[in-house]
Amino acid sequence: MEFLLSLASVALLASAVRLTVPILLTAMGAVYSERSGVVNIGLEGIMIMGTFFGASVTHFVHIALTPEGGAAVVPALAPLAGMLAAMAAGMLFSLIHAVVSVTFRVDQIISGVALNLLAVGLARFLNILLFGVATQSPGIGGFTPWSIPLLQEVRGLTPIATGISPVIPAALILLLLGQWVLLKTVFGLRLRAVGENPLAADTLGINVVRMRYAGVLISGALAGLAGGYLSIEQGRGYLEGMTQGRGFIALAAMIFGNWWPLGALGASALFGYFDALSLRVVHTAIPYQFITVLPHIATILVLAGFMRRAIPPAADGIPYTKEET
Amino acid sequence: MPAVIELSGITKRFPGVLANDGISLAVEAGEIHALVGENGAGKSTLMKILYGLYQPDEGSVKVRGQRIVLGSPRQAIDSGIGMVHQHFMLIPRFTVIENVILGSEPARAGRLSLAQAREEIRELCDQYGFALDPDAELSTLSVGEQQRVEIIKVLYRGAEVLILDEPTAVLTPQETDDLFENLDRLRGEGKTILFISHILEEVLAVADRITVLRNGRVVGTVDAGKTTKPQIAEMMVGRPVLMDLEVPLHEPGEVRLQIDEAVVLSARGGLPAVRGVSFSVRSGEIFGIAGIEGNGQSELVEALVGLRPLASGKLTVLGTDATRAGVRPIRLMGVAHIPEDRHLRGLVLPMDVWENLILGHHTRAVFGRGALLDAPAIERYARERVELFDVRTPSLRTPTLALSGGNQQKVIVAREFGFEPSVLVAAQPTRGLDIGATEFVRRQILEARSAGLAVVLVSAMLDEILSLSDRVAVMHAGRIVAEFQRGAATPREIGLYMTGARQGEESGA
Amino acid sequence: MTARTRLAILQVSAPFLAIGFGALVASFIILALGHSPLGVYGMMLRFSLTRSDSIAAILLKSTPLIFSGLAVALSFRANLWNIGVEGQYAVGAFAASLVAFTVRGLPTAVHLPLTILAGVGAGALWALLPIVLKLRRGAHEVITTIMMNHIAAALVLYLLADVFRDPTQAGTPRVRTPEFPDSARIPLLKPLLDLFGLRVPEHSALNWFLPIAVTVCVIAAYVLGRTRFGYEVRAVALNPSAAEAAGIPLSRTRFLMFLGSGAVAGMVGLSDVLGFFGYFDIDFPKGLGFLGISVALLARNNPLGIVPAALLFGFLDRGAQGVQVFAGVPREVITILQAVIILAIVVGYELVTRYVRMQRKLEAERMATASWEPAR
Repeated sequence: MEFLLSLASVALLASAVRLTVPILLTAMGAVYSERSGVVNIGLEGIMIMGTFFGASVTHFVHIALTPEGGAAVVPALAPLAGMLAAMAAGMLFSLIHAVVSVTFRVDQIISGVALNLLAVGLARFLNILLFGVATQSPGIGGFTPWSIPLLQEVRGLTPIATGISPVIPAALILLLLGQWVLLKTVFGLRLRAVGENPLAADTLGINVVRMRYAGVLISGALAGLAGGYLSIEQGRGYLEGMTQGRGFIALAAMIFGNWWPLGALGASALFGYFDALSLRVVHTAIPYQFITVLPHIATILVLAGFMRRAIPPAADGIPYTKEET
Repeated sequence: MPAVIELSGITKRFPGVLANDGISLAVEAGEIHALVGENGAGKSTLMKILYGLYQPDEGSVKVRGQRIVLGSPRQAIDSGIGMVHQHFMLIPRFTVIENVILGSEPARAGRLSLAQAREEIRELCDQYGFALDPDAELSTLSVGEQQRVEIIKVLYRGAEVLILDEPTAVLTPQETDDLFENLDRLRGEGKTILFISHILEEVLAVADRITVLRNGRVVGTVDAGKTTKPQIAEMMVGRPVLMDLEVPLHEPGEVRLQIDEAVVLSARGGLPAVRGVSFSVRSGEIFGIAGIEGNGQSELVEALVGLRPLASGKLTVLGTDATRAGVRPIRLMGVAHIPEDRHLRGLVLPMDVWENLILGHHTRAVFGRGALLDAPAIERYARERVELFDVRTPSLRTPTLALSGGNQQKVIVAREFGFEPSVLVAAQPTRGLDIGATEFVRRQILEARSAGLAVVLVSAMLDEILSLSDRVAVMHAGRIVAEFQRGAATPREIGLYMTGARQGEESGA
Repeated sequence: MTARTRLAILQVSAPFLAIGFGALVASFIILALGHSPLGVYGMMLRFSLTRSDSIAAILLKSTPLIFSGLAVALSFRANLWNIGVEGQYAVGAFAASLVAFTVRGLPTAVHLPLTILAGVGAGALWALLPIVLKLRRGAHEVITTIMMNHIAAALVLYLLADVFRDPTQAGTPRVRTPEFPDSARIPLLKPLLDLFGLRVPEHSALNWFLPIAVTVCVIAAYVLGRTRFGYEVRAVALNPSAAEAAGIPLSRTRFLMFLGSGAVAGMVGLSDVLGFFGYFDIDFPKGLGFLGISVALLARNNPLGIVPAALLFGFLDRGAQGVQVFAGVPREVITILQAVIILAIVVGYELVTRYVRMQRKLEAERMATASWEPAR
């Protein structure tokens, strides 16, 4: 009974919310990319770039801003720079995917897989260059956490009403914004059009290649941000392998959400919960190794259960060639 | 009258092909100008140049006397030229509004003004008498309605000149009538229409002037009122043409294919697409199935060849129950299949000609030694088939994707007629083929009939069904709603059954 | 030179161009690190190719890569994406180890095949769930196999640390299984090579899995290239709808190829555990499954191309050790080089494929028009 209650404890839920964020951000990125017709299996690698650049830029900006022996002038500046760097790195890295799969029309899965291979090597290499070791950066500080003024006084709710990373509300805003952009703007309509029928969009004067680049680059920025959040806000430093397959889990969340940002929220929350569970539940009869893979098992179950109901964009995964007869 | 569009000396080359060879053409304001010619005569290329999809190698385009360069569809649209494509450029999951405004969206600071768009589309519909619900999802509309969306799309962009590429190919006779009425009304409102077709009756009925293309050149332009069908046909082909195929009469033999009360589910959603269809086909008989596409014909064909299970009912091939047999046994019983989509079901395009010629026959003992394929035996067989069916290919080791549509279809026909089949199920066998290849395929089907095969012919082209079939059934909403003997019904009558305007009557047999 | 030969040369030269491009990109990194690229590459070549211990090391390193590359290629050939070789070989190697140290008293002729079979079976078993979910439920195998990788790692760690840890090692930092009896160990190649007068360093673990790996590739090439089944696999991969219309069972073909992929994956780790370690250790080599993807892409999923592609990666790996030790260049530079080669090669193959396709179309058009005219 106590064990069951602990499954719904406020602390656990608070942790679940925090772990939902990286999956949600990446899933939203995947939505942009796939809505434009580009499958992005490389999101995991893009996240890795985000974790590394987020942490290292935060580290160096912090050093640069901190006077000898004193405190940093503006404490939020270092993590902010880190987040922006993570997004920029994600975009740059996803540019490779766009060039290879959109311009050169290589199979999108192959391109994404190659991207993931590159990310692992690149992160190790750069980490050696900057910090002398392959697998981790020095510890860093994140944003000053927020608290919800009245709620934090309520006994029992403290874990969920305090220690809130500003990235969490930012992610929620991005979520609503994403839904609105896709549904109600010219950009969103055109993005969806090139993912459904690129030839039709082309004959109407829409630049298919440019829209697909936009979709892929936005996915890179969001996955990069997710990586930055992981290393700056969650991990307080970069650690090799810290993405733990979340880039792929996010793809499952996107499918579960039927290729809509709001839809991806539910599945992301589910995976975030299992993620939190895997970090929290220690005292059970189940060996901890199995607890750690709960999110992965949940992902397989979700895919097995919901794939058939979901309808991907009609031209998802198909390179567009104009001259093909 | 002033020319709205004046093309002079347009030449367009593709690797190995001269698609347009010095074409000059003047289209006058407020006329319906038909452009006719065989497939490959250069009509589509010319229209794509006019719509900015291709750039000509030589020659110039003038619009209202102004010489312009059409570098993209966008520029054509800005010059008042709009195109209604043969294969609709629509997005099934979008609404009518979204489809119409795409690329020319009314917006404030990037935000779509859907209400404004709805209003404008309503006005256009009223002006031209089009019945359309702007908020309907496109996938719920009929083919005729979708074509109207395409036309509205063009009008919405302020087009003065409308290019319609083979617009009647997919319509019923009634929908064609509606389309012609709409075109009349558009002409009345001062629009100019370029109408591409190879169906001569239609061209003569709707056009003011007709320009005939052959081998990439203009043969001539004539007034529709002062010409005849054989005249135009001769201009198109370059020699006098026999308009109808000779069909020898003979008595059909024993029943070879029979289906009883068949119910077949559709791929999506699992709703029944075929709802209780029964018929039988005899040796030496062609059983034609007419109908608007999407009324269950595709599912019926797939059920006949074992690709789709029967939810209920019974399939009998040569007296044997084949209801649950599946593709391979049904093939081995001697059922040949010319699929409706040759790129999807008919060929493995990247595979070579020889590999495609044994597809489905590859398990036969003559092609193997144990688990191995017998390459020399296959090569001998493939060479023989290629010669017999006159497949124009550089070698047996050429991938079929390199061949022309006609030669690809020849590969399929050569394969399916191998090993002496007893039944032929042919779906849309001449779709997208030029006149030469169409003639070839139709003659093969008639020869199959003479050789005693039982033939099921499904086609969206009513004239094809009527000219080849001994019996014609009409499918509507998953049922056979009427059946006629050869010559017992006019196209117009059949059209009424196709649209569901008339149904449930007993067969006119 | 005929057009056909020209196309063939083009196709063959693509991988070399990609390797050259990768080397070029890596040169900039090496330059940025303050070294001479030519010097570093020269050292790599000398270190890897002129020392007999290096050659043996390259061959040893290539052995698992051949299995892993072939495993990936088999699934890719069926248009399936088995990214789960990583997990399949971990499970396979552990299952083999289990049979190796728990079963005692059998002769080598029985024990060793049994051990290998356990690895093969476990690899296939780990591929079973993803392919069943793919065929039955449409779950995308890229995601499910990657999830299975994580689960495999956790499972193996649990079994190793909590269940089968060698009790005599308790209290030490070494987490590993008991040692295998000799009956479960693969014979080394050294005695054979000595017979032919080929010099192999005394301690090289180069073993019979190398010829086995090459043989498996040859068998795969034969099955895919010459048999009815291979023909069906090609049809299913290139156009499943047409294959289905021809009566080829889609699901069965895909199922068999994916399980075959898993089975071959089960052998990836065996050269290491049965030929080198003699026990299963927590530091058992990881990442070979992902390297296999690179090998398969470089070989263009051609089973015979897998062997040279794996040798190249073995060479790069050995060379990386050399430059790290002797030039102070981090070996990760070589990892990046590998990834760049892969990106370049997939683009290169795509361009070549398109060019070849266009040439074939031209050829067919010329043929159709040329033969048409004299006939009429």
